[in-house]
Amino acid sequence: MMTANSDGNYSLAKDAREIIARAREENITTVWDRLRAQEPQCGYCSLGVSCRNCAMGPCRIDPFGEGPQQGVCGADADIIVARNLGRTIAAGASAHSDHGRDILEAFHALADGRSCGYRITDEEKLKALARERGIAIDGRPLNEVARELAQAMFEEFGTRKESLDFVTRVPGKRRELWQKLGITPRGIDRENVEMLHRTTMGVDNDYINILLHGLRTGLADGWGGSMIATELSDVMFGTPKPLLASVNLGTLKADHVNIALHGHNPMLSDVIVQAAQDPELLNLAKDKGAAGINLVGLCCTGNELLMRRGIPMAGNHLMQELAIMTGALEAMVVDYQCIMPSVTEIAKCFHTQVISTFDKAKFPGAIHITFVPERGLEIGKEIVRRGVEAFANRNPQRVRIPAKPVPMMAGFSVEAILAALGGTPAPLIEAIKQGTIRGAVGVVGCNNPKIPQDYGHVRLTQRLIENDILVVVTGCAAVANGKAGQMVPEAANMAGPGLRSVCKALGIPPVLHMGSCVDNSRILVLAAALANSLGVDIDQLPLAGAAPEWYSEKAVSIGAYVVASGIYTVLGVQPPIFGSRKVVELLAGGLEDVVGAKFAVEANPEKVAVLIRRHIEAKRKALGLPHLSPEAIRVPAEAVLAGEIAA
Amino acid sequence: MCATRFSQTRSFGFRETTETVFINVERCIGCLQCQFACAIEHSRSHDAAAAVLEDPPPRTRIHVEAGYAFNSSFPNRCHHCKPAPCQQVCPTAAIFRDIEKELVLVEPRKCIACAMCAMVCPFDVISFHSIPGGVQPRVAAVKCDGCIERVGRGQIPACVEACKAGALVYGELNNLVKQGRLRETRAVLAASAEAEAEAQTVPVPIDGWRQWGAEAKQITGGVR
Repeated sequence: MMTANSDGNYSLAKDAREIIARAREENITTVWDRLRAQEPQCGYCSLGVSCRNCAMGPCRIDPFGEGPQQGVCGADADIIVARNLGRTIAAGASAHSDHGRDILEAFHALADGRSCGYRITDEEKLKALARERGIAIDGRPLNEVARELAQAMFEEFGTRKESLDFVTRVPGKRRELWQKLGITPRGIDRENVEMLHRTTMGVDNDYINILLHGLRTGLADGWGGSMIATELSDVMFGTPKPLLASVNLGTLKADHVNIALHGHNPMLSDVIVQAAQDPELLNLAKDKGAAGINLVGLCCTGNELLMRRGIPMAGNHLMQELAIMTGALEAMVVDYQCIMPSVTEIAKCFHTQVISTFDKAKFPGAIHITFVPERGLEIGKEIVRRGVEAFANRNPQRVRIPAKPVPMMAGFSVEAILAALGGTPAPLIEAIKQGTIRGAVGVVGCNNPKIPQDYGHVRLTQRLIENDILVVVTGCAAVANGKAGQMVPEAANMAGPGLRSVCKALGIPPVLHMGSCVDNSRILVLAAALANSLGVDIDQLPLAGAAPEWYSEKAVSIGAYVVASGIYTVLGVQPPIFGSRKVVELLAGGLEDVVGAKFAVEANPEKVAVLIRRHIEAKRKALGLPHLSPEAIRVPAEAVLAGEIAA
Repeated sequence: MCATRFSQTRSFGFRETTETVFINVERCIGCLQCQFACAIEHSRSHDAAAAVLEDPPPRTRIHVEAGYAFNSSFPNRCHHCKPAPCQQVCPTAAIFRDIEKELVLVEPRKCIACAMCAMVCPFDVISFHSIPGGVQPRVAAVKCDGCIERVGRGQIPACVEACKAGALVYGELNNLVKQGRLRETRAVLAASAEAEAEAQTVPVPIDGWRQWGAEAKQITGGVR
């Protein structure tokens, strides 16, 4: 049953609600208004049965079975849905992997001594990555090792390999399975290009064959492009260590120059952090009447800076428009991915300057300053200067900072988690074996205006930790949980007795921030390390993934590699596959017999929690560990009583 | 068959019902193809590429509005009521009925855009737009004309032709009602026999698609 005022419940977060109300007062259009204007959204497209891949079309299949059942070429609903899904995975994998390539190019420039503002921050990680590839390190200068590592990683993008290097991290049983299925990722760009080839008219018309390649395309992202992005960012900017920072729009300061760093690539934002400490620019800020320069993060650029530098986090995906509407933002510096074209339009209502920085991502209405690693610091300073100068244009009467910042802990790289455990995963495995911790779940992914902002993430996470399930988070999900106060050590009190005791003993929160969305690769590494130390495959572990509010093509790629790696995954938003019964049955059913994991789709986080808890207990049972029966796991009565779920 | 013949004609010479567009609301998937086809049909060029450049732009007469839940929608159009409230209240007799096709039409040159017709329309399907050719008044009532030109040429209405999901169908009214009744009958009998798979008018994945839409809206109630 509906409860009160559903239309107004756009967000769980108080800061968001206050600024959404301002948007109403001032007639500023936001993402929620645009969703409303788009409704009804096309059923052919959301069912996945429309095809625009050739000029004999466009075609669409009548999902009711009476109208056309084949496109002009003869493709049926199964082929069309599989093709579309395959292309979506390729687009998402391409986004992560091109991000990885940009980091790799900057790393290569650093190794060649061509960059400015970068250094090798984590020498140990550089050496470990080199060692992993058999690159000699003894007695060689670091930049030479780095250059050889860069060359080896460039090869990962090509077409001349049988398997990506990072696949050696995968448990042996899973590697054999991938080999048997023919889905071992071979080359990062290769799998994406092959997917575009396969899904053009007249190539791959077997929906199962297309979907299997979809898994391989995802794997080339997770164990390839994303993993390169994560590992090399750690080498250059530092492997994250636990730290305390703060989150929400309250991180903006009324008396400071506020500059938001938005997007996904940490390469520019990291030099901006250096530039913002420049004495000359700080003096300029004082001259303009500001108390200082305050950098805040948005989306995954924000997560990268939060994880490594403790830079405060202004918000996740659906906060990007609202951050401008505080009237307190001098500049929004954007790199790429998830940056709504609408930000420049909203910036016109305020004094905010939107500054775009990558030649591959231009925003009409923004100032474009091309970023090149060779002049990193110089460009960083120019950008900060523009922000400082914009402070003079701020109208103090228009400033509305809606909340006090909430503390949140971040910085849980795999290395940091192992360090917290005393250097080995053994204590975590022991806690799981005993049942003190039932299992672990990655809650990841975006915001989507179809789900009340943060509600999917926060409610699911709450239910999991209450039931002694350790939660690791990345991306927008991490920011959502941070805002809700679930990511400080004191939040251990929100957890069930088992997880609470472990968190208190280690001084960690029950919800661990593992980074940006490319850092989902850290979750893969952790899962593989747990499986390896137990001598089992990943799909045998009591693990699960959830993307309660996903929207991006990147999330589809993540879903593909997580499931192909053996982790059951629940999506809160339905993917466009429901037009093919066979594809739905495969992805939500038969796939379990193929890769040991499958997808589920469920919007209500209360029900997602039940699905995941039952899955985890089933995995515990199969491992011979103490377990609960599925019937014992139900939606809590309080949620039914509160009308949050249909009884 | 006998019933069909009876409903079409009577011995004293006029048809009891006529051909009409029937809406199977459970079939609408919100693709908006009918709106697009309607606007093109009522453009001056009758050509999609050229019509988008026309000034004033061609307007759709069928309106697909979103329901409360995601993945729900209703294609709404003039039902050519008999008697037609819009026709009854029109002070300038701009709204009239075509005798042969029994369609309710608007003569834009007579329309004074008073909107009385829109106010009394039970379906809220009359809107007001600029009319081409500089005819006075500049704005006139715009509503479905039943594709009278197409129908006169022996074609079916543009919206029906565009709908591949069976949400809009064209035919003799009682026949269309009877088809729905047959579906219901089979569903009821199948349900009572617990053999529902055979009689499902909507395949299961579509149900799942709609259920997600309803549920995604429902959880909004969980946010406080």
